[in-house]
Amino acid sequence: MNETIPLPTRFADRAAMLAHVAALSGRDDAASAVPDIAAGGRKAAEAVLAKVDPRAYAASRNHLDGAVTRLSPYIRHGVLSLDEVRNAALASVGDPKQAEKFIQELAWRDYWQRIYLAHPERVWTDVESYKTGFDAAEYDAELPADIAAGETGVACIDQFIATLVETGYLHNHARMYLASYTVHWRRVSWQAGARFFLEHLVDADPASNNLSWQWIASTFSNKPYIFNLENVAKYCGPDINTIPRHNLVLDQSYERLSELLFPYMGGPHG
Amino acid sequence: MADLVWLHEGALRLTHPVFAAGGPDAATIFIWDRDRLAASHVGIKRQLFIYETLAEMSESRSLDIHEGRAEEVLPRLAAQAGAGRVLVPSSPDPALRAEIGAIRRAAPDLEIVEIEETPFVTLANTPDLGRFFRYWNKARKSALRPQGI
Repeated sequence: MNETIPLPTRFADRAAMLAHVAALSGRDDAASAVPDIAAGGRKAAEAVLAKVDPRAYAASRNHLDGAVTRLSPYIRHGVLSLDEVRNAALASVGDPKQAEKFIQELAWRDYWQRIYLAHPERVWTDVESYKTGFDAAEYDAELPADIAAGETGVACIDQFIATLVETGYLHNHARMYLASYTVHWRRVSWQAGARFFLEHLVDADPASNNLSWQWIASTFSNKPYIFNLENVAKYCGPDINTIPRHNLVLDQSYERLSELLFPYMGGPHG
Repeated sequence: MADLVWLHEGALRLTHPVFAAGGPDAATIFIWDRDRLAASHVGIKRQLFIYETLAEMSESRSLDIHEGRAEEVLPRLAAQAGAGRVLVPSSPDPALRAEIGAIRRAAPDLEIVEIEETPFVTLANTPDLGRFFRYWNKARKSALRPQGI
């Protein structure tokens, strides 16, 4: 192949572009169906940015059906800069404090990127020890096949995995649940889970993704993040199956979960 | 001599400062390296998103996507374009930083200039990155102002 000939940029439709990209990547198997992912490009980004409501975001962002922005693929790829997104948010409110929660979330990205630049090794190695009572060596290095396939038998977890794989997007709270389940219920290394997310998320960024997994795992936080079925039901709405008998391993109090998940560590977690 | 803008997947917009630095006539390229994408765990969905964004950018500006490895493709394209400088958006990605190092070794006469992204906040000192809120407590005031000034 003559590498100085540019690749095509005009295609009949998205399916044709996907087939081209899949062939470029040697992943012809991936071109069978066009995934339902965010549209690329600046026009799409500006349309998403125009809908951002920082006040509604602050009020409901933790709920799966809340006013989340879906800006992350555009910010991650520089289609929108953090600066212009912040400026747009400030322009849409009367008082900067009304946009503070939203801007603080933008600042998380700035923070992760600063760590990536200053300490790139922290993106794939434990920043600190696990605070779970287990050593790093006790966590599986590979993602179990049932998690990759979305066939864990835990109903809400399997729904989150299906959404991730089909759409390349997952609400932040669902990411936290899935990451916590993977690391703490299944005792899988955060690196294995982080690779799974990087492969599927359209907004995947090594720093934001991996350091967030470390926050869940407790290797970059003061304690492990865990959740229970009651919390899932509170934030996920009726589209997520939170029937207890379909989610048995999650249907416990935090005190009981701490005993079950971290038997060598004293004190409750949540 | 003309400049050549070398884009990467973290800076996909025509308003990035790299274009102001290069001027309106600077040729622009994106190098599609399947091995690097695979090594960076960039899945097919993200690859489609990136390609779609590049395709839209190419409607408004001369922008070519070339397949290959940067250290092999970039010096050749720079020579073809008569470019003495390559402008690249700065990035913390170690893979990109390694590529820049490899190009500098392979083509020592080719000047590579990294162009910073528009800053989000303006900080007087290097912040403590040990925990987010140590950073946020220093950055908050600037973050809540337009242009972070």
